[in-house]
Formats: sequence, structure tokens, C-alpha cells
Amino acid sequence: MNLLRINQFTDILVESGFGILVVFVALALLVLAFYAFGKISRYQFKKNKTKANQAKNIQPATIDEQDDEIPALEVAAIATALTLFFSDVHDEESNVITIKRIERRYSPWNSKIYGITNLHR
Amino acid sequence: MKDTVKKISFLLILVSLFVPGIMAQGTEETKSVWDSLIGFWGGTGFANFEFKYLIMIIVGVVFILLGIIKHWEPLLLVPIGFGILIGNVPFTPGYQIGIYEQGSVMNILYSGVIQGWYPPLIFLGIGAMTDFSSLISNPKLMLLGAAAQLGIFLTFIGAYAIGFTPAQSGAIAIIGGADGPTAIFLSSKLAPELIGAIAVAAYSYMALVPLIQPPIMKLLVPKSEQKIRMKPPRAVSKSEKIAFPIIGLLLTTFISPSAMPLLGMLFFGNLLKESGVTERLAETARFALINTITILLGVTVGASTQADRFLTWDSMKIFILGALSFMIATAAGLLFARLMNVFLKEGDKINPLIGSAGVSAVPDSARVSQDMGLKADKNNHLLMHAMAPNVAGVIGSAVAAGILLSMLG
Repeated sequence: MNLLRINQFTDILVESGFGILVVFVALALLVLAFYAFGKISRYQFKKNKTKANQAKNIQPATIDEQDDEIPALEVAAIATALTLFFSDVHDEESNVITIKRIERRYSPWNSKIYGITNLHR
Repeated sequence: MKDTVKKISFLLILVSLFVPGIMAQGTEETKSVWDSLIGFWGGTGFANFEFKYLIMIIVGVVFILLGIIKHWEPLLLVPIGFGILIGNVPFTPGYQIGIYEQGSVMNILYSGVIQGWYPPLIFLGIGAMTDFSSLISNPKLMLLGAAAQLGIFLTFIGAYAIGFTPAQSGAIAIIGGADGPTAIFLSSKLAPELIGAIAVAAYSYMALVPLIQPPIMKLLVPKSEQKIRMKPPRAVSKSEKIAFPIIGLLLTTFISPSAMPLLGMLFFGNLLKESGVTERLAETARFALINTITILLGVTVGASTQADRFLTWDSMKIFILGALSFMIATAAGLLFARLMNVFLKEGDKINPLIGSAGVSAVPDSARVSQDMGLKADKNNHLLMHAMAPNVAGVIGSAVAAGILLSMLG
């Protein structure tokens, strides 16, 4: 698969120039493809929506032109959630487990008086 | 008391019967026991110890600590760091222990790196966990992912200039793609002898993205441009999300078929996710499979850094070139974003800070763009926008790897 025999420095320069150009071409083609696909998709979406609105007797003027955009507040909320998720923010815990001793001197569970049989005198 | 006396007497009789026999055999066997003890000592890590192993062990411990304490790419640095410890315990060769000894367990696991089949499986998982919506909603941001690949090709020239062969130069240059699996895939094909150094350099710099990128971003993007607010991305339909992996695969691999193993798996993983009917497969790819391969890849790449093979001048040069490659890639992304702004009308302008995310290193570099954006304007969230060049960088670096492979392989 050797496209070019690389022996000299000039060949390396040509290779590099060619390489970056091909990367740009590949991604530029993807850009064009998705601009086109996006337009078709949005056109289809609007057409379907208009049909649905007509079926419900909603006037075209009331259709929000910005329907296909996510509201800015929603975007901010998603971005914040992602930041928190990526930065793994949660309560920092000390990891020290202590048992807090609570004395109940006369509790039925620890009182000696409940452990013996009380004889009626 | 009588019983005790009886027991002791019986014991004494037994000893008197067997000990002389044992002592008689001892004269011949003592030497071989001593030899085996010496042999045992000779096989220990202490007897084979050399200072260079200690250096690598310290490097391994630093990696582990950076992962645990600083949280820098812990999923990579902890396995790689531990792998470095495994690979640098001194041993006597010949017992099928070391990673470079044919048939050893580590050698078998390492075959996934050398044969290059771990990286495509990692890409399958990445595809199954990546949401390309931000990219689909604003396709022009894909160009930032292409611009950042300039680091690869300039480093290719630089590596050749300082004496590496063209194939080695190509393998080293891919560090600028900031994509560990791609770097391993390409170096396994072009320069297997450098794979350890290249992989460790690539992953180290990916972990160091929060340190490397911000100074370059501050230097190349004026304060006023750091505050640019971008238009919120539009909602993307399901059909667009399904079409993306199919169209993406066909377009990119028709141009660069050598990138097929990586891009094929990346887009396949994404189709599993977006199709909505293969959730079980997508789930396996994004959790069980990628986690398993990450463990194996990390440990074996770490273990491949055996001091006697790793601590060379070539490794030092690779580290320096890798750092340069990363910096150039970051700068290229930022400057290209500024260049794009010259041609974009007001309201459509992009914040140049997201240009640095084009280097790949998902999602760290996008996170750096977000953090820098928040520093300039605390209400300007760039993360969603930065994810577009970030994932475009993954595609761009895989295409670049394919091009280098087809030209130099």
C-alpha cells in the first residue's frame, strides 16, 4: 500500500501536507453531508408539524419558528449536569465510622434489674 | 504424669531411630540444598535489582498516586501505573514470566496490544457511549477536529528530522491525536518496538490535558473572544442520529480504508446505541467490554515499559515530541476557531476556547474548554459545544492514523 516511497525530507513534507489535506477533506465531506441531511430532516420535521397543526386547526402563525432549537436554559442545565457528573461532585465524607455511645442507665435492655428474677417478698 | 513420661520416651526412641539415618544422607544432599538456596536467591528481585528498575517503579507509583489523589484519568493511570510495577519487578529470564517472553501469561495478554485488536474494541465502547448530537446539530465544528490533527503531521516532520525512520515518525506523531487506542493501533503496525513509550506518552499527556492546555488557551485567545456566547444547538432528530454512523463510516472509510478497524467499530458502537433496538449490545459495549479491555490494555501497556527496553534516549525523544505534538494540536485548534470566526457572521460565531477540544482526549479537553469558558464568563457554558470538536477529534485522529498507515505501512 505504499503510495509514495519515502526517502527524502521533501517527501516527508509532501506526505504531511497531503495527510492533513485528506483529513480536512474527509471531515469537510461529513460537514456537507450533515448540513444537507440536517436541512432535509428539518424540512421533513416542519412539514410533519404543519400537517399535524392543520389537523388540529392551529394557525401557522402560532407555530414557533425556533422549535428545532433547545432553549438556552435547558442547555445550561444540561451543561451544568454534565460538569457535575464529570467532576464527580458529591459529599466528601471523612470515612471515619464512630459509634456514638448513648447511655440509657435504666433502659430495659441494659438494666441489671431486668436480668434477674424479681421475687415477691 | 505416667502418660506424659511414656509419650516422651516414645518420642526419644523415634528420634534415636531416624536422626542418624537423616544425618548420614545429609553429607551428599547438603550441597544441592545450598545450591538451590543460592538459586532461589539468584531468582529474587533483590539479586537482579538494577537502579533503572527503581526509577520505573517510582514512575509507576507516581502514576497510581496521580490517578488516585489528583483524579487525573484514574481509569487509565491506575492500571498503567500498576502495570509499570508488574513490568519492572526484576526477574531471571527463561521462566516465562516477563511480558516479552513467548508464552508467558503477560505475553499472551499483550498480544492484544501488539496485534492491535484491543484498540478497535475500545472504539466500539466509545462509540456506544458517545452522543454525537452536538456535532450533528452544528457540523461546521467538525473542522476544528480536523485542524487539531495538524499536530500529528508537524510532529511527523519533526520526528523524521531528528533521526527516526518514516514509520517510527508516523507512530510517534500520532501522540498528537491525543487518543490512546489510536496511538497503540498505529504504533503496533508501524513501530512495535516503540509501542510502550508511545502508549505511555499518549496516556500521560491525555491525563495532563488540564495542565497543558490552559496556558496555551490563555496565550492564543484574547479575553474578549473567550467571552463569546454560542447559539444553543438545535434538537437533533432520531433519524439524523441513526444516519450519522452509517454516513460517517462510508464517507471516512472510503477515503481512508486503513482506518476501518477503528472507525468501523466506533460507528458500529454508535449505531448500537442510537438504533434503540440493540440496547443490550450497546450496554455490553459501553460497560463490560470496554472496562475489560481497558484493564487489559492498561496493565499490559504499563508492563511493557520494562526498564531495560524503556529507559532509552529514544523514549526521552518520544516524550518531548509527544508534548510538542499535543501543544501544536491545541494551538492549531484554537487558531483555526479564530480563523473560522473571520468568515462567520455575528451570532454564528464560535468561542475559540472550544478549538482546543479538537485534540480528542475525550472528555477531558472538552471539560477544560468548559472550565476556561466559565473563568472568562461564569454564565457561559461551553461543554456541549466543546463536545462537538472533541468527538470530531476522535474521528479526525483515526482518519489521520489510517492515512499514515496507508502511506508508511
